[in-house]
Amino acid sequence: MVERTTFDVPIEADANDSDGPVLKTGTTTVAIAADDAVVLAADRRASLGGQFTANKRVQKVEAVHTTAALAMSGNVGAVQSFARTLDAEAELYAARRGEELSMDALATVAGNLVRGVPAQLLLGGVDATGAHVYELDAGGGVVDTDYGAAGSGMQVAYGVLEGRAEPIDDAENARELALDAVVAASERDGASGNGAHVATVTADGVDVESRSVADLAGDGAAATAGGASR
Amino acid sequence: MSAPDDRQAYDRGVSVFSPDGRLYQVEYAREAVRNGNAVVGVRGSDGVALVADSRGRSALLVDDSVQKLHDVDGHLGAATAGHVADGRRIVDFARQRAQSERLRYGQRVDVPALSTAIADHVQEATQAGGTRPFGAGLLVGGFDGSASTDVADGRGRPRLFEVDPSGAPSEWHATAIGGGAADARAELESGYDPGMRVDAAVELAVRALATTVEDDGLTTRDVDVAVLDAEGYGTFDDDDVATVLEDADVQRAS
Repeated sequence: MVERTTFDVPIEADANDSDGPVLKTGTTTVAIAADDAVVLAADRRASLGGQFTANKRVQKVEAVHTTAALAMSGNVGAVQSFARTLDAEAELYAARRGEELSMDALATVAGNLVRGVPAQLLLGGVDATGAHVYELDAGGGVVDTDYGAAGSGMQVAYGVLEGRAEPIDDAENARELALDAVVAASERDGASGNGAHVATVTADGVDVESRSVADLAGDGAAATAGGASR
Repeated sequence: MSAPDDRQAYDRGVSVFSPDGRLYQVEYAREAVRNGNAVVGVRGSDGVALVADSRGRSALLVDDSVQKLHDVDGHLGAATAGHVADGRRIVDFARQRAQSERLRYGQRVDVPALSTAIADHVQEATQAGGTRPFGAGLLVGGFDGSASTDVADGRGRPRLFEVDPSGAPSEWHATAIGGGAADARAELESGYDPGMRVDAAVELAVRALATTVEDDGLTTRDVDVAVLDAEGYGTFDDDDVATVLEDADVQRAS
């Protein structure tokens, strides 16, 4: 059987029935809309059947548009391919039309592409109408929201977000809250951990930073390491 | 070898260039557009006017059974000149494209994007084997809002494009295609004002259309009028047309 890396919660039947080891990752992803920015965060762990940490620096937050990013949980190959395809769609539209896809249109494209992809995705971005967060699922569902969490650590993350995410106005506050949620989930969800990536999306672009466990234990906002930006 | 024989050697297949770099079949297709009745488009500050010459039909033909002006998707419209059947196929392509844009992006297509898509489709027919170019030209008009914003916020603007049988798109303040188009364009060039409202645009378009007609003026039955503004695609009824003909001073007693 082909080995697959996933950010999914390992389903028991799946793990037992497989002929060989199936590489999966549990995940915690979070997205929060602020006034004129969106923050997306995810932990950095990829695990094998939820039992073995296969990778400690996986990036699950990627830019998919000049002013939008995706936080991914699900089958790794499928979500990486999805992110590349969505990015290509956005680039192609901009090249052909001379203007960027709006967030509503990007979410519609993403909804059309995500059908059948084994993933739970959070899409966040900024356009002329403001900051937007969308939850995407494998059925092709696209749900507009102010904040959301996904992956195996989502219950713990939501516990942190509830009551604190609604009145967020400032990007810095949103970044702090998103990392708090990922840190809490990393403490209690065995399939999440090893630090975090946090993307800040503004009208100026997407900035992705990497945070180690040590960074997160100290002053979360202070240190960055090996971040990618666009 | 005589000139007609030379030409015959190079106008059999659409995809065959003549030695001097011409595609005769495409030129014949342009001729087919000139053989049709004229259509005129004028862009006003708050909307686009499309006007068509619908003369030359038997009194037995039911009014509006042959359409030159077409509602594409409620906010975009097209006027066709040349082969009616070819024009209908292009309009149907435009309608499908407008709907696929809604499915793909969840938003309506704008005039430049649709015109470019139509032009790509028309161009294919000049290069693919086993086909012939479309014998119809098209004016595409509409009132565009910026992506994801409503036209009601005032950021929308009217656009007018032409697509010719070679598959080349071009944008115009005002233009005419079909028989007598050169005369109509001369009238448009002298009468066009960038600040004109759409009702003035309709009047100018009708005056330009009248220059393509050898008869002494136009009757209500001779003219179709469509307007594309922030409300979308709308057509004039006979009373509206009669008023415009009178205002433009081109009416003929029927």
